[in-house]
Amino acid sequence: MVDLSQYLPILLFLGVAIAISSIFVFLPMGVARLTGAHKPTAAKLAEYECGFPAFEDSRSQFDVRFYLVAILFIIFDLEAAFLFPWAVSLEEIGIAGWATMMVFLFELIIGFIYAWKVGALEWE
Amino acid sequence: MDYGQSLLITLPEIILSIGGLVLLLVAAWSGAKATRAVSISAVALLVAAGVATLCYTGDAFGALYSGDQFSDFGHVLIYIAAAISLMIAPRFFQRAGLARAEYPILILYACVGMGMMVSATDFLTLYIGLELNSLAAYVLASFLRTDERSAEAGLKYFVLGALASGILLFGMSLVYGFTGSTSFVAVLGSLGGGMETGALFGIVFVLAGLAFKISAVPFHMWTPDVYEGAPTPVTAFFASAPKVAATALTVRVAVDAFGTQTLAWQQIIIFIALASIILGGVAAIGQTNLKRLLAYSSINNIGFLLIGLAAGTQEGISAVLVYLSIYVAMTLGSFACIMQLRGPDGEPREELSDIAGLSQTNKGLALAMAIFMFSLAGIPPLFGFWGKVVVFDAAIGAGLLPLAVIGIAASVIGAFYYIKIVKLMYFDESRTVLQTGDGKALAWIGAIMALLVSPLGYFSIPLLGGFANNAASALF
Amino acid sequence: MIQIIVFLPLLAAIVAGLANRSIGNVPAKVLTTGALFVSCALSWPIFLAFMSGNESAYVQPVMTWVRSGGFDFDWALRVDTLTAVMLVVITSVSALVHLYSWGYMDEDPDQPRFFAYLSLFTFAMLMLVTADNLVQMFFGWEGVGLASYLLIGFWFRKPSASAAAIKAFVVNRVGDLGFMLGIFGVFLVFGTVSIPEILVAAPDQAGSSIGFLGLRVDTMSLLCILLFIGAMGKSAQLGLHTWLPDAMEGPTPVSALIHAATMVTAGVFMVCRLSPLFETSQFALNFVTIVGATTAIFAATIGLVQTDIKRVIAYSTCSQLGYMFFAAGVGAYGAAMFHLFTHAFFKALLFLGAGSVIHAMHHEQDMRFYGGLRKQIPVTFWGMMAGTLAITGVGIVGLGGFAGFYSKDAIIEVAFAADAPYAGYAWFMGVSAALLTSFYSWRLMFLTFWGKPRWADSEHIQHAIHGHHNDVDHATHAHEEAAADNPPAQEDAGSAPHAHAADAEQLPDGTGGYHPHESPLSMLIPLIVLSVGAVFAGFVFHNFFVEPETAGAFWQGSLAFNEPLMHAMHEVPTWVKWSSTAAMLLGLLVAALMYLRETDAPRQVAENLSPLYKFLLNKWYFDELYTLIFVRPAFWFGRIFWKGGDKGVIDRFGPDGVANVVRSSSGLAVRFQSGYLYSYALVMLLGLVGLVTWVMVR
Repeated sequence: MVDLSQYLPILLFLGVAIAISSIFVFLPMGVARLTGAHKPTAAKLAEYECGFPAFEDSRSQFDVRFYLVAILFIIFDLEAAFLFPWAVSLEEIGIAGWATMMVFLFELIIGFIYAWKVGALEWE
Repeated sequence: MDYGQSLLITLPEIILSIGGLVLLLVAAWSGAKATRAVSISAVALLVAAGVATLCYTGDAFGALYSGDQFSDFGHVLIYIAAAISLMIAPRFFQRAGLARAEYPILILYACVGMGMMVSATDFLTLYIGLELNSLAAYVLASFLRTDERSAEAGLKYFVLGALASGILLFGMSLVYGFTGSTSFVAVLGSLGGGMETGALFGIVFVLAGLAFKISAVPFHMWTPDVYEGAPTPVTAFFASAPKVAATALTVRVAVDAFGTQTLAWQQIIIFIALASIILGGVAAIGQTNLKRLLAYSSINNIGFLLIGLAAGTQEGISAVLVYLSIYVAMTLGSFACIMQLRGPDGEPREELSDIAGLSQTNKGLALAMAIFMFSLAGIPPLFGFWGKVVVFDAAIGAGLLPLAVIGIAASVIGAFYYIKIVKLMYFDESRTVLQTGDGKALAWIGAIMALLVSPLGYFSIPLLGGFANNAASALF
Repeated sequence: MIQIIVFLPLLAAIVAGLANRSIGNVPAKVLTTGALFVSCALSWPIFLAFMSGNESAYVQPVMTWVRSGGFDFDWALRVDTLTAVMLVVITSVSALVHLYSWGYMDEDPDQPRFFAYLSLFTFAMLMLVTADNLVQMFFGWEGVGLASYLLIGFWFRKPSASAAAIKAFVVNRVGDLGFMLGIFGVFLVFGTVSIPEILVAAPDQAGSSIGFLGLRVDTMSLLCILLFIGAMGKSAQLGLHTWLPDAMEGPTPVSALIHAATMVTAGVFMVCRLSPLFETSQFALNFVTIVGATTAIFAATIGLVQTDIKRVIAYSTCSQLGYMFFAAGVGAYGAAMFHLFTHAFFKALLFLGAGSVIHAMHHEQDMRFYGGLRKQIPVTFWGMMAGTLAITGVGIVGLGGFAGFYSKDAIIEVAFAADAPYAGYAWFMGVSAALLTSFYSWRLMFLTFWGKPRWADSEHIQHAIHGHHNDVDHATHAHEEAAADNPPAQEDAGSAPHAHAADAEQLPDGTGGYHPHESPLSMLIPLIVLSVGAVFAGFVFHNFFVEPETAGAFWQGSLAFNEPLMHAMHEVPTWVKWSSTAAMLLGLLVAALMYLRETDAPRQVAENLSPLYKFLLNKWYFDELYTLIFVRPAFWFGRIFWKGGDKGVIDRFGPDGVANVVRSSSGLAVRFQSGYLYSYALVMLLGLVGLVTWVMVR
């Protein structure tokens, strides 16, 4: 028989998670009910999802420029994400670490220049 | 750690990276009109990188990167294949109206990745090289962005490639978890003796991820679609350089990292090899598209290559390298031939029925094609036969007699469709009006490759065999 | 030296054969003929050196052939007296036949091929006679078989020639199977295929027994008989003789070279070469004697009634080979080789003479349409006369005579003198066959050269007169006709055939207005040279070949020379010595009577002895018998194996089955390649799961 007692922390974690998420969902609703006016409309009841209609055919088309921006965003987002650990450990990795990151940044800059030059950053 | 030495050893990658960046800026400012200059510069960079490869040997950055003779062999072969892919491309893209300077640049970046793949002695280097190559390849596959098939090819390649990368990464993390290191040497050391199941899983996952890159069955499904959809020069590139890099990488991982657990992976490789040979042969019979057919042909050939790896001996690895070299020549030549097929309006023709009666309209092209087909089928006087001989010889030398026997028997299936092409060209009546010949570059490359795989190729055996032996000895 | 002799013809054959029409007729002919004359010129000194005793046997290694454990032998050329004899026979006749073919094949469109085949044949034959081991001998053996096949079927557009070629090949296979089994047996018993080693080891094995087909048999008898079966096939002995007459479909020079002088004597050569082996088994020798003697008489009887000039000579060859074999069978190998030697000259002469006649008579081969040619083609006539005198053995006891007188009579006498069990039978058959030989040979002469011309009825002559034969393909064309109108051989020659007479012009003298011309010089020179051989070969060489005092030194042990036997030969009673001469005279007399005087007699004889006549005319019904026993059942079996076995089982489950599986699985694989990403990913993951499962459960 599997010793299920080891899974107790997970069970506890699940319980806590359910409790907290329930609180997050129901507490605002309860507070709103108790404090404000309750006048639901279709727009008010709709889910909020990044400005797009939430329920639609998944094959719908939308502008490719969103992807371009998103991809460029991800690249520089990652760059920033790399910078944090680098900055923290700079003392230990020394001049070699510094040089490496400079090379990385330099390459990204060239990529950025390319994107800029070919017009990837312009919306129109 | 001696940075100066390390930088020198990684010089080919550095040359290509910096060169690629510079060319990127050139492309950004000059646009499409610089295509020709960028292409020529890219070839020059490849030559320079090739020279740089041969100049310095040793380990770089600790045990992250190795510039041994094995990697030299891989580098040079990759650069040659890439350079040829550059040379055959311009007219194709001009006709398609998409001659852009990004094509050579992407090839250069792919080459950086491939160079790192063949030199990788650490799982992290491996992964970075692999991804660098893959990302460039995804874009290359969809380079004809106005063509639906090309876009589809790129997307399929990307999604499945991401899946394979995930599998590979998962395997690597398992291996790291159970051995405590990502370095091949360290992994090799800690895998000796009894092995935990987790590490075994890691080996399987890593091999599965690599099998995707070399398009071995059952991780081959992307190959026909991508080969068919991608622009033909890109297909030629996919069929040559990345195959070299991925095969060399698989060999190095199998021998350098998992060499103490040969029994664990040998059976997997044998299965993959046989499945590739048989499926590559059988499925090709039903194809009507030449590029698709050559995709199955490449799957088939990978099977033969893996037989050499399955042997696991130095002789076997040497055989793999010899086979690879011959295969690159055959496959580039075949694509150079196919690219010369044009319809009346100059549109590319790549259906099997288009080459019917080719011998009547263009004798030289038909002859070259026939040489490649016979060579791919391994018909004796041609050089392709030698590749198969060394591979099977190695397998027999390693005591894998049944594998060799099945492999030889299954090669008959492949011979069927190769010879069918020859039959179509020489014995059938032409049904479509075909305009052949497309620039001197293609004709020259086709002719040179045909010469290489013709019986004259046997003169290169001492040279090629010597290099391959040296390269293989670097792994043992 | 010996290498040049052997390999020069091969070189010539390769060059002429591969270059073929691209170098034209004349260069090919000059090349091959020149090569043969060089070989010939080099061969005679060797032979003469052996005659003078200045040369002794040696082996000239060429290169390594097989090194496989105990199976170990080289290409090597053995030169001893026996080889030297064969060398001069082969190269001389071959050179002359090459020369002769210049004239005979002049109108053929395919001459380089013909000459290349001839040279190839010569090479193979030389390889056979210089063999130092059985495998090399077998190589030559098969080589001559191949060349014979190619040359019989040289006019391959003619169905009868193709059929004859196939027949020759297939019948020879039967013999070759025996030869091969013999070689296997020899290797099994002696552990070597080297001829000298076998001959040395043979006496030790005498009396031992070996299991064969579930029986216990005497080792040496078994080996010798198996080898002899090979000899029977090649030398057209009784039972395996059926291919030789049909082989006359080939061009006449081929018949002269291959089917008279050289290849068919390979069997005799082999028996002589292995004579010490045969000496160890009396049973095998008896077998050889009986087969030889029976063939001698059997072939001679058929020769009596044939009307085709070449077939008469073909059966004559068969008969003479029988003589050689029974000479060997009673132990007189020297006599056998002597007859082989002289026979090569006079039989080649007869064939070439016949070719010359055929040439003159516009490819008519039926003797019934000849007659009175003595004056028209005098050189040919005298050549044929020399050959006939030689084959019938004309000569006077104590004084000398033509070649056959020495060699054939030596065989008949030695058969009488020998005390071997069946020697008496052989002697009787030999004398009877001598009578028949004389009869059919003179019959041929009388029908061809004497009497009145009967040419007008021949369709060939009709063609010649009316002159619509001037197409390029003349020779082939003419032969196709020959095949088409095979004369209905219902009546013997001499009675005027009237089958073709209907629309003939019927000039009074029967010439039909045709004027035969003597052949060109290139054909006459070989005739003259060979005539000299036919006249003098016996007289000059009999001391070396058969005389007990001198021959032993000549042979130098290259065959088992039985000196006491040869002494005994000289001491046979006088009536025996005269018996063959008497037989010859009787034959001549009867022939003269029937074909010069009472020209109606042959028809009457044929009518009175109708069953016997038909029996002989149909060649003892051998072909019919074989068709019934072997050919039809073979076809029947073949059809069963073809339809039921091959197509029904092997093809269906073998190649066709595999091909179908591949095709259907190809369809499956193509369908699996759906084009949907998720199915691709699924396959990848399933593959991964499969691999992981495999390494887990292993």
